[in-house]
This record gives sequence, C-alpha cells and structure tokens, in this order.
Amino acid sequence: MIRMSSPNEFAQEKGRPVKGEGWRLSEEEYERLQDPRSVGLDVRSEGWRVGEEEWREWLGTLLRSGSRLVAPVEEDGLSLFRAVSSAAEVSLRGYGNTRWSPKEFLFPATEALFSYRLLGDEVELGAPPADGGEQVLFGLRPCDAAGLARLDEIFLEDGEDPSYAARRDRTAIVSLACDTARPECFCTAVGGSPAGTEGSDLQLLPLDGAWLLRALTPKGAQLVPASAAGWTPASAADWRRAEELRLAVEESIERDPLSPEWAPVLEGAFAQPLWEELGQRCVGCGVCAYVCPSCSCFDVKDEGDAFCGARCRLWDSCTLPQFTRHASGHDPRPTRPSRYRQRVLHKFAYFPLQHGGRLMCVGCGRCVRLCPVGIDIRESVERAFSAGASGEGRP
Amino acid sequence: MVQLAESKEPRPRVPEKGWEPRIVALVCNWCTYAGADMAGTARRTYAPNVRIIRLLCTGRLDPLFVVKAFQQGADGVLASGCHPGDCHYVQGNLLARRRFTVFSTLMDFLGLDRRRLQFAWVSASEGVKWARVVDEMTQAVREAGPLATWAAPAATAPSPPLLDPGAEPRQAPSREESGRITAQLQETAANLLAEGKVSVVAGYASGSLPGQMVPAFVTAPEEASRLAWNERCANNLTVYLPELLRKKGTGKVGLVVKSCDARALLGLMRESQLDRADVVLLGVPCTGVWDGGRLALKCYGCSEEVSPLADLTITPEGARQGPLASARERVAVSDPRDAEIAALESLPPEARWDYWQRQFARCLRCYACKAVCPLCYCATCIAEKHRPQWIPAAFDGAGNTAWNIARAMHLAGRCVGCDECARVCPADIRLDLLNRRLALEIESRFGYRADADPSAPPPLTTFRPDDPDEFA
Amino acid sequence: MSDAGRDRFLPHLMRIAAAREETPDVRTVRLEFAEPEVASGLQWRAGQFAHFSAFGAGESVLTIANPPSRPGHIECTFRDMGKVTSALASLSVGQTVGFRGPYGNGFPIDEWRGRDLVFVGGGIGMAAVAAPLRLVLDRRGDFGEVLVLNGARTVADLVYKEEMKEWEKVERVRIVRAVDPGGETRAWDGEVGLLPDVFESLRLEPDGRIVVICGPPIMLHFMLIALDRLGFPPERVVTTLENKMKCGVGQCGRCNVGRFFVCRDGPVVTAAQLASLPADL
Repeated sequence: MIRMSSPNEFAQEKGRPVKGEGWRLSEEEYERLQDPRSVGLDVRSEGWRVGEEEWREWLGTLLRSGSRLVAPVEEDGLSLFRAVSSAAEVSLRGYGNTRWSPKEFLFPATEALFSYRLLGDEVELGAPPADGGEQVLFGLRPCDAAGLARLDEIFLEDGEDPSYAARRDRTAIVSLACDTARPECFCTAVGGSPAGTEGSDLQLLPLDGAWLLRALTPKGAQLVPASAAGWTPASAADWRRAEELRLAVEESIERDPLSPEWAPVLEGAFAQPLWEELGQRCVGCGVCAYVCPSCSCFDVKDEGDAFCGARCRLWDSCTLPQFTRHASGHDPRPTRPSRYRQRVLHKFAYFPLQHGGRLMCVGCGRCVRLCPVGIDIRESVERAFSAGASGEGRP
Repeated sequence: MVQLAESKEPRPRVPEKGWEPRIVALVCNWCTYAGADMAGTARRTYAPNVRIIRLLCTGRLDPLFVVKAFQQGADGVLASGCHPGDCHYVQGNLLARRRFTVFSTLMDFLGLDRRRLQFAWVSASEGVKWARVVDEMTQAVREAGPLATWAAPAATAPSPPLLDPGAEPRQAPSREESGRITAQLQETAANLLAEGKVSVVAGYASGSLPGQMVPAFVTAPEEASRLAWNERCANNLTVYLPELLRKKGTGKVGLVVKSCDARALLGLMRESQLDRADVVLLGVPCTGVWDGGRLALKCYGCSEEVSPLADLTITPEGARQGPLASARERVAVSDPRDAEIAALESLPPEARWDYWQRQFARCLRCYACKAVCPLCYCATCIAEKHRPQWIPAAFDGAGNTAWNIARAMHLAGRCVGCDECARVCPADIRLDLLNRRLALEIESRFGYRADADPSAPPPLTTFRPDDPDEFA
Repeated sequence: MSDAGRDRFLPHLMRIAAAREETPDVRTVRLEFAEPEVASGLQWRAGQFAHFSAFGAGESVLTIANPPSRPGHIECTFRDMGKVTSALASLSVGQTVGFRGPYGNGFPIDEWRGRDLVFVGGGIGMAAVAAPLRLVLDRRGDFGEVLVLNGARTVADLVYKEEMKEWEKVERVRIVRAVDPGGETRAWDGEVGLLPDVFESLRLEPDGRIVVICGPPIMLHFMLIALDRLGFPPERVVTTLENKMKCGVGQCGRCNVGRFFVCRDGPVVTAAQLASLPADL
C-alpha cells in the first residue's frame, strides 16, 4: 500500500513555510510581471470566478449532454481518474495528483485493433468495437495535460494513428492548476508550470475557496455552458490572486532546471560507466512507464484461442526485460542499467533531439514517488549530464 | 476493456432459459479416464455437461489449467485422479492433493463459489462413482448458476473498508538511537570491506524525497558513510542477492537485513539459489518500518527484533558476532492482516469476488510485485512466456486475475511475508492478504512455515501420507 | 493503393501460393494478395520490410525478398525461431497470412549505378540482400560487376541453392559460397572459413565498390572491421538492421536506438551511420 506524504512534510524539510501563507503580490509587482509562465495578463477578461457548486453543476450539464466525463475519484483510498456517472462522484478533496496519469483515456492500456476468425484456410477480420462519444477529461494537473500533449506529438505527427486521432478529436481537457506542490514535483525544472496551459482547453485556477475558470481554446470555449452568463466574471483581484498562488507554488518546487539543451551531452554520455551505478538498484518493473503521462511504448499481441481472437495493442515499458529481446535470444539491452539508461535518454535526449528541443518528461514526479527502489530520474539526468559534460570515460 | 470476438461476450449472471452448466474435467489417464470409460461401457446414464481433458496424472495439474478453463467459459471445473496410494506414478496424486488444497483455498478466498471447483478420487473400476460425481457436480453448478465471465468489468460495489489496525504497539527509535546504529553500521561495513571479507555491502542510504531511504551498494570502505539505518528502511535487499553474487568476484556479499528480509534467504537456500557461506548478514535491530507515517501491518505481529540468521548484529554499542537475543520485550499483538482476512472470509463469496475483482481491475501489470520479491527469481516468468501465452496479456479482468492467481500460487509456501509486493504495488492491491492467507493455510494444514530450516523441502513439492484429504 | 485513413494496423490478407523449405528451419513462401487491387497498387523498394501475420500467433517483421521488378506477389524467407515464425512455418499452401507494409527506407539502389557491387549474406541474412541483388540482376546493364558472397554454418544451412545457379549464369556475376570450418561435406566445392576471412582472401580493392552486408550481429561486427581495414569507405558499406519491432512506423518505441527508429529511419544504414548510433542495437 503506497502511503503518500503530505505537503507539510516537504515544507518542514525545507524549514520555511510555503509562500502562499500571508504573502501577497502588490498591484504594482503584478503589473510588472514579465514571467512567461504567467497565468496570462492578456486574457484577464475571459475568466469567471466559480465556486464548487457552479463547476459541479457545469459537470452535470456536460454529463447530460452525453459526454463521458472523466475526473478524479477516490477509490479505496487512491485518487484515480475514472469515468463518472454523476458530478458528485468527482473528488478533489485533498487532491494532489492521481496515482497514475489519465493517458489511458487517450491511449488505453489494452485496445483491440481488430478481431480475427480462423476458418480453415480463410481468415475473417473484423473492425474493433467503436469507442465513440465525446469525452471531457476534468481535473488534470497541468503536468498531465502537458504529458498528453507529448502523446499527441508521438501519435499524431509523422503519420496519424487513426484510433488515437479519433479519440483525441473527441476529447476536451480541463486542467486544474496546482495550489501546492509535493516533494517529487518538478514541472518547473522541465519548462512547465503549476498553472501551465499546454494541452488544456479550459483551466481552473485556484483562488481561496473558489476557482478562476478560463477557456484556452475554441474547443474549450464551446464547453462553457449557457449558464455561465450567470457566473461572476473574474476580477482583476482574482487574476492577481491566481498569479500569487502560481508564484508561490513554483517557488516551493525549487528544482534546478533540467534543460533540453543538455540532450546532446546526455546522448554523448551513453557509454559512461555511471549508468551502471544509476541503474544498479532498478529491479526492472514497469511502474515508472505506466504511471507516466507521456510514456507511450506499446506491444502488439494476438489474444485469443484456436478459433478467434483480437490483435491488441498493450502498454509496454522499455524497462521490462523482454522489451528488446529477440526470438534468437540476442538482447541489445541485456542488463537493467542498460534499460534504465534507455528510459532516461529517451525522455531527456532522444525525444528532444527528434522533436525540436521539447523534453518528453513533464515533471509530474510520479516515477520519483512510486519507484519501488526510490530511483530519482532528476538525479540521474543531473549526474549523467555532469559526467557527459566533464568528458570522463568518453572513448 | 478488451472486447474480443463474439464467443467472449459477457454472459449474464442470471441463467437464461435453457442454460446448461459447462464443466471441464481434468482427469488422469490411468484411473479416472478409465473409470469414465467404464461408465460408458456399463451404459450408465449421467449428466452430459462435462468435457474431459486428459492429463497423464493429476500431479500435472497446474492452477493455470483451471484458470484457463474458467476464462474460456467453464462454469465449473472438476479434477479427478487415482486414489492416494494408487497413483500410476506413485506420488503424483499425493502432490496434487496438497496443491489442490491450497488452490481451493485461494479460489475460495477470491470469492469463487466452492461448488464450482471440485476434486475427486475415481479409480479405473469406479464407473459408477464417476457417474455420481459428475451428476452431483452438475447439479451443484446448476444451482450456482452461470459463472459471469472473467472478462466482465469489475463490480462497482464498494470495497469493505480497511480495518483500523489499532494502536501501534511500538514506537520508532529516536533519531539518536538510529544515529548510533548508523555509526556502528558504517564502521562495520567499512571494516568488512577494508579487510576484504566482503566485496560489496548492500544497505540503505538517504533517498531524494523527505525521509526516504533507498537501497545502496557500497564497494569501498570510504563509501560506507553513505549507509544509514532508521525506521524508513523498507526495502528487502535480499532481492539483489542473485545478481550481487554473480558479480561479486572472490569476496562475499554483505547485506543489511531486518528479520523479515532475512527469512527470504532461507527460501533461496532451500531452492539452491545461493550458498549461505557467500553471504554475510548484518542484522540491525528493527522495531518496525514506518511508511507514510504509519507502522507497516507486517510489523505488528513481529516478535523478532533482530534476525536470528544474522552473522553480525549491529547494536548501538557495536557489532556482535551472531544474532542477538533482544533484551527488549516485544509487545505481542495480533497481526492486523489476520483480522482483515477474517473480515473478508465472513463475507458471502460474491462480495469477496467483487472485492478482489475491483482491485485486480486496477492492476497495471507493471510486475513491480514480481520485481521486488526475492523469491521471484525465474529467468523468464510465466507471465512473460508466450508459447503458449498462459497469462493473457490484456490488462483486463481476466488477464489481471490470471496473473494474480499465478503469482499467489507460485509463491504459496515460499512467501516469507515481507510484504514488499504490497508496499510497492501502485494500485494498492492487497497482495499481502493473498500471500498471508495461503501461508496460514499451509501452516495449519501441513505444519510448514516459510522460515523453516532450509533443509525442509518446499511444501508443494512434497507430501505426507496423512495429508488432509477432504475430497470425494 | 494508398493506406491513408485505413487503420494502419489492419493487415491485407494474403494466401500462401507456394512454399519451399530452404533448409530444415528456413522457409521461403510466395504470397499472393487476396484482393487483386492491392497487388496491382502496391509499391515498394528493395530493402523495405513488412509485418507478416500468422493470425493467432502475431506478427513477424521480415524483409520483402522480391524486388519491385518482380511484382504481383510477395516473397519472404524466414527462420523458424519464435512464436510467429514457427506458426508461419507450419502453415500450408492455400492458407491465409497477413501483410502490413511496406515500411522502412529501402536500399538507395540508384546511387549504385555503374558501380561494382558486392553482396555479402550470412545465413538467413542472405534473404535481406536477395531483394537488392535480384533488382540489380533484373537491371543488369545499370551496374558493374557483381560479387555474391554467401556464407552459412553448414552446407545444409545455405539458402537459395537453386536460384544461385541461375544467378551464376548472369554475365559478370561471380558467386562465392562458404561454410564455417567443420560445416563442409565431402562433396563441398566452395570455400571453407568464416565470411570475414573469406572476404579478405578475395583481395578486393575498394575501387568505388558498394558492399551490401547482412548477417548475424557477430558476422556484421567482424565484416565491418575487415572492410575498414581494407580501406572500404564507410559511406559505401551498407547493411540492413534487425531489431524487435511492433508497429513499423516509429511509435511503439521498441526499435528506438538513439535518435533513430530502425523501422522508420532504417533498416538500411551505411556503416558511417551505424557508427554514430549508440551501442544498444
């Protein structure tokens, strides 16, 4: 049973209170704010101040319109994204982040690609069951929304994956900016923000006891209900408060950047003996890849019997022992450190080099928190970069 | 959820008109198959609901055969073989008797109606008995109704609430005390390395999250200062032994162990996976592991402050040879996992089934449970084998249930209750309860505990002539 | 026929028209599309591969062994090694398999015009060099001298035994076959030795030659060393990589090596490119 620590643990460790308590941003400071991660000085007019009742009512409207609504719920003590049948099931109380990412709603853990029937010499192929309907993913943290944006790049650019594309088209994302950070969070270190807008169609920004709701895309704007006419428009003070909270949370994260510019150095550090040490305690499970919002590796297998079945796409992880093992027994990555290295380099070097400098990691911290042996990918990247930059051991 | 071709459509729990039970019978070739044949030649009339699959011996019966039968649509499974003492291969059925006892317990604990899984002894001359066994089983399964397919979505019934384990029987050691043990541990490790007595010491060091302790491997005396000991040292480091032993060169492997961890060593020795002489166990005094501010459940009922297997015991005062009888009295409390097991067993089977299916539906098939278990050392796990694919690869109810059953059965009688699997499971599946239920069953039925002497054979590889026999 | 919009994972159905057991564990099958419009519309380059389905067992990645100069069918040669190839090996003529492709980059055959060519195929690797070789033989006039160096562990493991006799009849084509020491029979009239050694014994000058190699990793390793030592420029040494693959389009992650996806950016690479890739191949 995984027990999550409370944010207070982190604050105590740091020896000072989280900035939000009693700290206020002055009007002047706010006007002068040039921070690119700012909540958006230029869209101040497009927001509403909503309370819990109002957003729950809004979710109810979405459900009644026939959309599938996916939101955080509490299940057996875990916070998970589930499709809900009523707005009341949505649980944001004590919500840090869900145990694993919501990527399964765009990229299912198991997906039938087609069915087959074996009829003597003939084979009959059938289309997979339709997975239709609009869906709204509600309550994603900005890191998860950014992670799904990475999946978009992987599955939609360079040739579209039809089932992913169809599902993505029907999906709107409402993110919920963070009012606190956990020790494992590091979105700011990878170019993100607790109020980041990447990948979101709408966003709720926490105020004290209320939220500032804003539409970020035309798709998001369309989801705003007619009843919003009765909502209170967000005031300048609301925007300022949202900004304060963002700054407070960002500052509490306090991690040094892991730059995409490090990618060539990390790539060059491939042969460093350091990886043996970094990957030494890895036990070769798939937790990190499966809880991650941007990990997208998959396997394709036929599941069925002698008469019929389906070809399925299934989550897979480069950390699992069978990932690159050939039928002949030859395995280019025969050791756990070599597989761990692949995961780190794919996230922080290869993907950025293939995708114009965008890191694949979004800093949600789940792998750091949930790794059974406490491997910290941030530490691995920092140390590999140092080793690569110093040129030790380079052939 | 994967929807396969129409033969796998979910079937309703309430029988439709004209439904007939489908029963798979796994029978041994020499006795029961002949007995069934005899029923035929004797023109006995009996229920036609059974499909026979012939095995050479019930000793060949693997739990996955039964799981597959259920997942392919059987409403009941019957296994039958020669009477004890009459096995064509002398002892196959005596092994089967033990294994089936344990497997039935697991399936009952998971909430499978006991009527659906039966075992019988039918000899070659007992055609009449065969007919009767089949008739009775068919009638029982008819009453139980069709078995909802295991590919169906998990029930949305709420889980029974977790029981409050009660007041923690002990306190975590003070920082000062942990600090003193740490200092002694560092010195001991440094000395062992400097003297060349070990080539590596596996212990714990600070992780990057507040208070986190993680596995650490130290190969030089000056690195020993990385090691530390406190109440957050949860990992079972024996899982690293096979690899460390392979790489160790000429030195031995030093391992910091709690008593729960070290028990795994007995299993590894019993199964010839290592030579005890190659390992130096550094026992540390442990009052429990605190995770997320709470004492781990396994620690409540633990009475061993230091592992009795320790080669060296690290105390706040220094390292002593051998294990150390602790002067501190351990408050004896009952294991809270037993109360949870009892609570589950008091529920009707359908509620238990829903409880476990709800958890298995969350299973991510990350295999973290397998990865951290010291006794899961197979080079290729049954879950990874694809010729044939015994465990469905799909992450659905059927596949996840098959995996969790296989895991529990492969560890039955071997698991030492370190609960690492449950600690690391990202889906919070109560693997600890599954393991413990089977461990208790094996102890009560066969008088065997996994921390027994390594010379005692694993319980499911042996038998006694007077093993419990509740079968027809 | 364009596959745009079609579910990229849905294979075309093909029937096994003919099968030949090259060796006890290597089989060549000739496949014909169930839908004729697929056959007439399919375009591919020598060196591209496809995912071949044995429904129920899965897919296996195999080179398309016939070049586009021999259209209308698909040929592939494979060794019975794993779950899928084993299933493919057990299917009979008339049964149905699946085809999904073509994928990959293919050989840059146009760049070889006028040059002397060397094709080195070790064991089942011969199937991968067969596609460009057959294309060269079909357009004989466009290319210089052709040397085919084919090796296997034993005489019984040599593939394309019959077809090689046809190749030998083509003008300015030389065939050298070799088996590993200990693999020869009394009647063997070819070379005996490991392929890199046999290659060196031929004393070829680089001379602008293109060398196309495919074989087991260890053979490739030593061939590259030999070629380098003999002065063959790495840009003119070409190989085709083998990797575990599942999607064929660079999404599943399995064949990711550095910035490279073997399925999408390969499988054909020059020795120069190979040297720039990380070692987890």
